Amino acid sequence: MEDYAERIVDKAIALGCQDAVADVAVNRSYQIRIVISNRWRETTASAFIVYNKRVVASDIKDMTRLDAQVENLVKIAKASQENPDYAGIAKGPFKYDRLSVDKKIVDLIDGSDHVQAAVNAALAEGANETAGSFWKYDEEHYLRTSNGVRGYDHRASLYLSIRALASPESSGHGVACATKASQFDPEKAGHKAGKIAALAKNPKGGEAGKFDVVFDPLIFGSLIDQVGGRAGAWTVLAGLSPYAKKIGKKVASDAVTIIDDGSADSIGRKRFDAEGVPTKRNVIVNKGILKTYLHNTSTAKKFKTKTTGNAGLISPDAHALSCKPGTWTRDEIFEECKDGLWLTNTWYTRFQSYVTGDFSTIPRDGIFRIKDGEVVGVWKDIRLTDNLLNVWKSIEGLSKNVDQVQWWGEVYCATFAPYALARDVGITRSAE
Amino acid sequence: MADLDLVDFAVDYARQKGASYAEARYEHQTDESFILKNSVLDALYFGEDSGIGVRVLAKGGLGFGATNSMTKTDVKLLVDDAVKIAKAAHRKDPISFAPEQAVVTNWSVPQVKKLSDVPVEEKIEEINHIDRELKDLKFKIPARYFQQSNKQIDKYFVNSEGSKIRSFSPRVRLFYFLTVQHNGDVEQTYQNYGWSGGWEALNELQMRRRVIDEAKSMENSLEHGKKSPEGKMDLVVGPQVSGIAAHESCGHPTEADRVLGREASQAGKSFITPASVGQRVGSPLVNVCDDPTIEHGIAFYAYDDEGVKARRRYLYKDGLINEFLQNRETAAILGTRSNGSARASAYNVEAIVRMANTYVEPKDWGLEEMISGVKFGVYMKSFMEWNIDDKRYNAKYAGREAYLIENGEVGSPVRKTVIELTTPTFWGAVDAVGKDLEIFHAGFCGKSDPGQALDAALGGASMRLRNVYLR
Repeated sequence: MEDYAERIVDKAIALGCQDAVADVAVNRSYQIRIVISNRWRETTASAFIVYNKRVVASDIKDMTRLDAQVENLVKIAKASQENPDYAGIAKGPFKYDRLSVDKKIVDLIDGSDHVQAAVNAALAEGANETAGSFWKYDEEHYLRTSNGVRGYDHRASLYLSIRALASPESSGHGVACATKASQFDPEKAGHKAGKIAALAKNPKGGEAGKFDVVFDPLIFGSLIDQVGGRAGAWTVLAGLSPYAKKIGKKVASDAVTIIDDGSADSIGRKRFDAEGVPTKRNVIVNKGILKTYLHNTSTAKKFKTKTTGNAGLISPDAHALSCKPGTWTRDEIFEECKDGLWLTNTWYTRFQSYVTGDFSTIPRDGIFRIKDGEVVGVWKDIRLTDNLLNVWKSIEGLSKNVDQVQWWGEVYCATFAPYALARDVGITRSAE
Repeated sequence: MADLDLVDFAVDYARQKGASYAEARYEHQTDESFILKNSVLDALYFGEDSGIGVRVLAKGGLGFGATNSMTKTDVKLLVDDAVKIAKAAHRKDPISFAPEQAVVTNWSVPQVKKLSDVPVEEKIEEINHIDRELKDLKFKIPARYFQQSNKQIDKYFVNSEGSKIRSFSPRVRLFYFLTVQHNGDVEQTYQNYGWSGGWEALNELQMRRRVIDEAKSMENSLEHGKKSPEGKMDLVVGPQVSGIAAHESCGHPTEADRVLGREASQAGKSFITPASVGQRVGSPLVNVCDDPTIEHGIAFYAYDDEGVKARRRYLYKDGLINEFLQNRETAAILGTRSNGSARASAYNVEAIVRMANTYVEPKDWGLEEMISGVKFGVYMKSFMEWNIDDKRYNAKYAGREAYLIENGEVGSPVRKTVIELTTPTFWGAVDAVGKDLEIFHAGFCGKSDPGQALDAALGGASMRLRNVYLR
């Protein structure tokens, strides 16, 4: 596989390109869903070549035609247009952290016991239906660049997502994420999903208004994911972020510190970014103040700063996010919610204006009415309608324990999320 | 193209290994796309994605595997894997497929201007031209973002029942995202248009006019827009709003796999159950169709990814829940036949139940005629923010381009009109359906795990809704 990466870079440079990057990924992932099991054996070379500031990216799948495909990419680049914002790729070589991969995960060939453990736990809590998927992610990466980078990474992790239903409108969701087989706890995810489902029986239509909200880690992960995604410098330049011109400004309450760290132990861990720059800890928001955007070499030059090691092929992205834990216990978070809601999950987060941050998202699974910290009712059919900056500024307390979450369509990036208490969050509902 | 004999071999070999049914789908997709951001060509992408996916039924279990290594050794390994994991499922309720006739055919989408004959620099120049026209407008457009994509999909499908289908499908897309600024206030929009066919697409879709008109409407909203009125009133919606409602609150809830719970952990379930067929969900004027055979619709196909002939499906008919979107697996469970709704986004994922081109069927009202019958209300031509819950019952569409209607006349623009209604309330309020039909808004419909973002057209006729709550 190193050969493929080497050949792409060498060929592009021989054909006159100034910069070239090739990342060959070997995917041996395996998945179990309730109805079907899937297995992949794929090799993909992600290539990035630059001819006189003309940038072309590609994914090459047919390695038998590799030379011809690179020749074609160079031809396309020569016919393309200059990108004046292109400022090169990082200069290597770099030293990387020690490789960290659990052989027990790589060697796992059957995950059905994990699925069974999660399902049984959910059923034991009172669920009568479950759905979900189990993943063994197993990817090797061989990176070469024309600027002296030679990198190897092996990324392997286990993931399980389970939704439990106690009746058609009473559901709960749980996820389990681990980079070490010994720390993988699908049973806990099943218990959580089942417990919420059982508690969410007989929901009534909710009411519109302003409410204090306890965010469960899964839905809070979605909000953290929005911060990480909107903090990408490319996203800011495209008009897709409320964080433009807000470096050094207040974008969240003092309680909030958000970090991206691809080098830390998480299922989003990477030794290097797409340019080969070692991943590192970047504080995006520190005690409520926006400290940095996420950069590659080109966006960093535009913003007169240094790359943060977040390069993707075209745009910088977060690798693995976390919200710094608070000092509250989970019980204290609930106790401080005198008259509000506990939201456990959400989906379909959409913006009316990315610049202002006006958005809405639809809570799903258990939605609970809270009074004096206790669940006093179960709701359904509501929508969180507010402004992203306002919601973050309204965060009052965070729990000292965090969960690692990632979820289909909402929490794209691996994220460590605590329980959070927010004040006066807008809730709407369908009109009669 | 790879050695297609390997595709036939995969099916034969799976049968030898004990599969009661096997299918293999080879795909070769070329994807040429580029991003023009604030007049800068950020990057050009050119990818070729090819490989084979094999799905088998064995001992009542379903297994799928995929590889992009088209060698006999690797295809054998892949089939071994798929059969093994299917058998290992030990299902109490064996999976079966509804019966189908074997089909041997070729189909392809014609192109007036072949995508492969148009140099990429010409395609870039076309978008540059639109960008220049935008810059020539006499107001501020601080963020202009275009993504133009051209995909060419070759497929070869074989199953153990004797079907052999080859197809070729070229698709063109233009996505744009604009930010217009006026006196410190901003209006944003994004639009996605799609076409099955060649480079004639941009002319046929009149993209230059559309983009410029939209930018002007944004400036108009900023300069003259008022707060949208709140309360119960009449509403006229354009094809784009009809289309998103058709997709989200009709197409999705009538997907049989969702109705049966197969998507429960991801894209959710449905407020519709198998017993709901025949129940009222809208006024008798409401017909919502999904039709893969619409010429030039971005999701055009003649046969689906299980080899079943495509046809129009009336999902809601005369306001009643009429038909589900089915593949062979869901059809077997529900005791019916597939209606050709199985699609996959690439060779390396299984074909599941998907919408194609979903739209509100036109009737005979003119737009002006509908508006003239409104004493006080809103005409919402397009939307920006939208979402819907996972059972597809509570939807929100927030207006981008919208106008006040007073005494049958369209008046000043109104901003951020919000429709937040249940599915039956929305469809039940329809009292007129236009004769205009537009089905070229192209969505990336998301579903399944691993996620499959798939081409889907959204459209329809304009509609008038009576006495609905807006804010």
